[in-house]
Amino acid sequence: METLMEMLPIILPLFIIQLILMVTALVHVLRHPNYRFGSRGIWMVVVIVLQIIGPVLYFAIGRGEED
Amino acid sequence: MRAYAAFCNKEFMESVRTYKLFIMGAVFLLLGMMSPLLARFTPAILEAVAGEMPEMVIIIPEPSAYDSWLQFFSNIGQMGLLALVIVFSGLTAGEIGKGTVINMLTKGLSRGTVIFSKLSAAAAIWTVCYLLSILAAFAYTAYFWGAHETHHVFLSFFSMWLYGILLIAFVIFGGILTASIYGSMLLTGGVVVVMMLINILPGARPYNPITLSGENALLLTAQRTVSDFAPALIVCAALILLLTAGSVAVFNKKQL
Amino acid sequence: MDILRVENVSKSFGGNKVIDGLSFAVPENSVFGFLGQNGAGKTTTMKMALGLLKPDGGEMYICGEQVSCGQTNTNRHIGYLPDVPEFYPYMRPKEYLRLCGEITGLSNDIIKSRGAELLALVGLEGVNKKIGGFSRGMKQRLGIAQALLNEPKLLICDEPTSALDPIGRKEILDILQQVKGKTTVVFSTHILSDVERICDRIAVISKGRLVLSGTIQELKARHRADGLTVEFASPGDLDRFMGDPHVAPYTEGAAQNGLGVTLHVNDMAAAQTAVIETLAQGRILPLKLEVMEPTIESLFLEVTK
Repeated sequence: METLMEMLPIILPLFIIQLILMVTALVHVLRHPNYRFGSRGIWMVVVIVLQIIGPVLYFAIGRGEED
Repeated sequence: MRAYAAFCNKEFMESVRTYKLFIMGAVFLLLGMMSPLLARFTPAILEAVAGEMPEMVIIIPEPSAYDSWLQFFSNIGQMGLLALVIVFSGLTAGEIGKGTVINMLTKGLSRGTVIFSKLSAAAAIWTVCYLLSILAAFAYTAYFWGAHETHHVFLSFFSMWLYGILLIAFVIFGGILTASIYGSMLLTGGVVVVMMLINILPGARPYNPITLSGENALLLTAQRTVSDFAPALIVCAALILLLTAGSVAVFNKKQL
Repeated sequence: MDILRVENVSKSFGGNKVIDGLSFAVPENSVFGFLGQNGAGKTTTMKMALGLLKPDGGEMYICGEQVSCGQTNTNRHIGYLPDVPEFYPYMRPKEYLRLCGEITGLSNDIIKSRGAELLALVGLEGVNKKIGGFSRGMKQRLGIAQALLNEPKLLICDEPTSALDPIGRKEILDILQQVKGKTTVVFSTHILSDVERICDRIAVISKGRLVLSGTIQELKARHRADGLTVEFASPGDLDRFMGDPHVAPYTEGAAQNGLGVTLHVNDMAAAQTAVIETLAQGRILPLKLEVMEPTIESLFLEVTK
């Protein structure tokens, strides 16, 4: 069985993309306090807890209109 | 033609500036990378769990490239398509609901062009992101299992692609019909549920477009033949044409 | 030629008849004020002219071509400013104008030059932020710029000033004043002072019917005032004037107001002669002698009550 260190370069890109997705959404939640519905707290939880689909939901239906 | 190009261009700009492209790209890249990894390590994880419970005997076959593609199609077919529908749920609904498209129409943009450009732009984004996930999955699968035997490669991937286009057509149709994002999502979700129910009837199965997102891995390993997929492909293509024509017809009649 | 012709148009929403046999025409090169109370059917009429709503009966013609709902051919003659214009919030003003221009089929050079011209006209030159961050007045001004981009024969503005503060209103009216002569303007409103400032023709609708239409001069002439006001320097002058038998035929029903009196007359010329003779013979020197003009407001109130 491979050690974790050996597998790291393979798994790492996955975590990095996931992190980028989450951080981008999180930064947007914090910097744009207008949401179509819900509050900052709710969207922070959604974006952090729900992997992948959380940021999708936020950008698709939670994000406010004004840029 | 110029209006079509201009409106497509606007759709792409919108996708970039409202993070749609970013989200789609990231999600599909993730799914592409994740599937082979899951296939590779699920047995190891299960073994570790089972090892703590000696009374349980789990026989786990050695994972293969086939498991990787099984994972891939299942992830794209569920999580990927869900993301696709959510991301594009506001494609037509948002513009009609908010009234941004009215200004375009009063400029002489034909309503058919609105539908066609939205369909093309969404289809292009879906195509690129889907290709991205296929490439990632290929790279990881080849890394873990080396060269492996595959059949009907094009058709396996094409079927899922066409099914994705069908969902986009439903999202557009739902948006035109209800002028609401939730209406658009509900209609598309409802149709998927109906297709799942239809799948219970044995005779209907080969014609059901949902087959195109469920049995791709079987096609890839030659457990299904092209003729098994052909009826569903034809039904799916016909539905796409019908929905698009229907969207234009309904939109033309729609009072704004 | 008539730029816009509305012939016997009707429209109901549910069981509610919003427009009821409406007919009027807008001649070329006029600024046409389309008046009515809130809910009188102004927006509905305009949306039907743009092919956004389908009339239940009757026809509409733009530059002689019939409007058909859902089709957009006639829209190439029109620039439209909705009451609350909605733009793509992620675009910048120049990008939005370019999109509009490409859709209308203008060449890139024209889009660039006219776009810059129009942004200067509406005072948005050098504004490069996204439209999402615009104020209401800025959006309204961008709305005018996009409406004028294709040099339309007809500019339709739906309540362009209603939602704005006095400064914003003045800016919009100034812009409309500037395009007067280049294009025919139809503009709906319920603000009567705006109409008097820029319109030369009006149509007033009430409960979906046309109740008054014509040029402002015509209307004022037709509803010729029957009032003649004389104002005096002292109560003595007023009494002497009112007591004079010469003006007795006109003083019945006269409304006295402080040192002034308003006579209601049928024959203005005869009455004016009589009044002036009386004043001259009695050596009464008035402070003011005025023929009362009807205001748009009084006409509006008269026809919509």
